Amino acid sequence: MQSGSGIKTGVEDRPDEKMDAARQVFLSPFIRRYHEAILDTDHPFARQVVTEGLEQGILPEEILFKIVLPSIEQIMVSVSEARDISLAQYFIASQIASEVVEELIPRFRQSPDMVGRVVIGTASGDFHGLGKRIVIGCLKAMMVEVFDLGLNVAPEQFVEAALRANAQVIGISAMMIHTARGENGCRKVRQILKEQCLEERFRIAVGGAPYRFNPDLYRQVGADACAENGIAAGKVITGLIREVQRR
Amino acid sequence: MNSMERLVAAIQGKPADRIPIFCNLLDQGARELNLSLEEYYSKGEYVAEGQLKMREKYGYDNLWSLFYVGKEAELLGCRRMIFAKDGPPNVGEMVLRRPEDIPALQVPDDIYSHPAFEEQRKCLRILRDEAGGKYPICAYLTASMTLPAILMGMEKWMSLLLTGPTALRDELLHKCSLFFQREIEAYRQAGADVLVYSNPFGSTDFITPKIFQELSLPWMQKDLQPGGTAGVVYYCGSSPFNDVIETVIEHLGIQVFYLSPMDDIRTGKRRVAGRGLTCGVINDILLIDWTREQVRAEVRRIIEAGKPGGRFLFGTLVMPFTIPEDNIRVMLEAACEFGEGETVC
Repeated sequence: MQSGSGIKTGVEDRPDEKMDAARQVFLSPFIRRYHEAILDTDHPFARQVVTEGLEQGILPEEILFKIVLPSIEQIMVSVSEARDISLAQYFIASQIASEVVEELIPRFRQSPDMVGRVVIGTASGDFHGLGKRIVIGCLKAMMVEVFDLGLNVAPEQFVEAALRANAQVIGISAMMIHTARGENGCRKVRQILKEQCLEERFRIAVGGAPYRFNPDLYRQVGADACAENGIAAGKVITGLIREVQRR
Repeated sequence: MNSMERLVAAIQGKPADRIPIFCNLLDQGARELNLSLEEYYSKGEYVAEGQLKMREKYGYDNLWSLFYVGKEAELLGCRRMIFAKDGPPNVGEMVLRRPEDIPALQVPDDIYSHPAFEEQRKCLRILRDEAGGKYPICAYLTASMTLPAILMGMEKWMSLLLTGPTALRDELLHKCSLFFQREIEAYRQAGADVLVYSNPFGSTDFITPKIFQELSLPWMQKDLQPGGTAGVVYYCGSSPFNDVIETVIEHLGIQVFYLSPMDDIRTGKRRVAGRGLTCGVINDILLIDWTREQVRAEVRRIIEAGKPGGRFLFGTLVMPFTIPEDNIRVMLEAACEFGEGETVC
């Protein structure tokens, strides 16, 4: 079984559990109801769909990879097609994904293969954590191991943590123009990577309002990529992880 | 024609020498006075002097009484701000650490006389004495739906808003609305003319249309109903809001719309449909790097989209500290040039 994003879920090699057409029909109403709840920012109803699904025999792996993650992917598609998705919808999609991962992974019959590792925090001087939180929820659902460094993170801390975690990607969130462009943000992280000959080992992803208003800013500050929003960041970061892993 | 007359003409759709030009320079005042940002914002006299100097230097139409957004948190008990060298300060201590702190939150009865309002009061007195009636004096007020983000952080507020408990959420909204009602009264008493009603939660970029209808709109009505909407400007930070303009006019009666740079100006103006003033806003983050030609071209594009038919103002968003002075001048000269002349068809 694989999610739409190609994430290995740990049960794909067991033919007896392959998703057949009948199974898909059984799951369909749950998939639809869950996604509707997310779009409606109805947290209790989304959780109820998950609970009902488990009670009716849906595997924890299926809940995550056939219901929760596809809903996130559907939001990504909607954003790419310029259909209006609000910050509240990103938040709820990510929040529930995070909760489901925490609760259901211990119940998986086999530990899922992790895609990679990311250290993430807000830039030095920046105390806005919402975007980071949305990204973390999505990454967890995409089987990325996340090390949350918190708010107002010094550039040296990003690099030290990435080395310690053996991460592939350093994620830096900034909501203010001076923290996005400042000397102690991404620019300094890039400089340290350069000085320590670590540029091949790590990729830097950035996000936050200033990057939305200046699409070229991420290059100016030395990042490898940026994401339009918290949900899209999941896709961008997993792409960077694979890039590092291919080297 | 002075700046106030120009603004009034634009609101009423009457002829003017040019469109009004609002430029939101805040932190730059510290540079004018050769002070650190922390020193600059410590005294109302400094902020007033900085505002008057910058308006004189560049020749735009408005003055600001805003120090920084965290000032509202100070009125509600925040005692620590974290100042930067090159940008606005952050709230350094959340007034509400967790939702359980909400019942203890106290809203001051009298904001005008509150010690935490003293420097703003001084600033407004100087601005009013020096420029009252000639230049519109702006004040910045955060809506009840958005103020909790300053008090508890956006993460916690979004979580409380969307996942509850709803009783605590509503108690907080009630207190924030009460604060807003008292704050707008204080600013009016102190002589502010233009009351910028800041509410990113009034944009469907932030919340769904359903939450807008069921929560944002009723709380905006509660905020604004007691004092009315005279001088009030609808503003959602950098979030676009063209799709709610019709509802806002119908239910709130606001007549001035300060669009997001992401809003299409022609669409915004079409929706306002002659019932008020549309403000076309430049994406000023790009002013940091743009060439003279790029700045002029963008100003021209905005004004050509908004000026036909009148009732239009050119404005800026956050004006980052690092925008070169030359680009500020080029932008304002271009706005005067392209915004010149009869504005009513």
